[in-house]
Amino acid sequence: MNRSLVILLGALVLGAALFGGSYAVSQRVCRNCMSKSVSDLDWLQKEFHLNDAEMARIQKLHEGYLPKCAEMCAKIAAKKSELETALGPNTHVGVNSTTNVNPVAQQKLVELAALRAQCQSQMLQHFIEVSQTMPPEQGRRYLAEMQRLTLGFHEQTESSMSGSAGHEHHH
Amino acid sequence: MGGGQNPAALEPMNKENINPDPGSAEAGEARLGALLRESRVSPALPPRFQEGVWRRIEEAAAPVKVTGGIPWLDALTALVLRPRLAMATAAVLMVAGALLGVREGSQMAHQDAQARYLAVVAPNSLR
Repeated sequence: MNRSLVILLGALVLGAALFGGSYAVSQRVCRNCMSKSVSDLDWLQKEFHLNDAEMARIQKLHEGYLPKCAEMCAKIAAKKSELETALGPNTHVGVNSTTNVNPVAQQKLVELAALRAQCQSQMLQHFIEVSQTMPPEQGRRYLAEMQRLTLGFHEQTESSMSGSAGHEHHH
Repeated sequence: MGGGQNPAALEPMNKENINPDPGSAEAGEARLGALLRESRVSPALPPRFQEGVWRRIEEAAAPVKVTGGIPWLDALTALVLRPRLAMATAAVLMVAGALLGVREGSQMAHQDAQARYLAVVAPNSLR
């Protein structure tokens, strides 16, 4: 092979290695440094440019919400466990091998859905309260963002299952 | 070359030097000159020696040419191999990589913080 070509290729590889190495190292260091010792609410303060007074109010709301959320999560986990028991070890997705979903499992599914709905309602209520402590524009943006992040997944799933008509729905 | 003189050629000169006749002395000098010319032993030059010498002189004087290469590639290689340029390029690449890494790292940290907040207020079972 041509000597010049070999030298140029070597220089290119060396350059790429230098660039890639410095990129990877700085990215990791920066990510670790910025992620270290930040609170759960740090993202809120940065993303929505909140001052200390607003953050103090949100912190209070957050601390009031967390026990309720944990309680609901525990109820949901218990209901899931009941559902699994009702489904039994020899059935899959609640379908009996010979007939339909058994009535007990059906009842547990309804109860689980009700609990999830209650929990989601409570979560949305918290989002609304938090948004009201922010400046109006930031509050609207926060609420929209949280709805997108928490309920958007279901919307996407439902849209994909209902075909193109589903894309027209905006709740 | 002093060692190359023929001692046998000097012998007759000594004999003639003792001859008092001036006419025969001139003849002797002429003979001596002829003998000296004959006595210089010079090795035979290899064939086409002079031509070879001139060819080598011309080759040494001519600029060095890289044969079989692509001119622009050779020029680029010569440019890349300049120490100052190589160091500057390496420094620029490292700084650019570091800046891009910091930018990406801060974005990722921002996403991590968002995920942490979401994990607290909206557990996976609700999403």
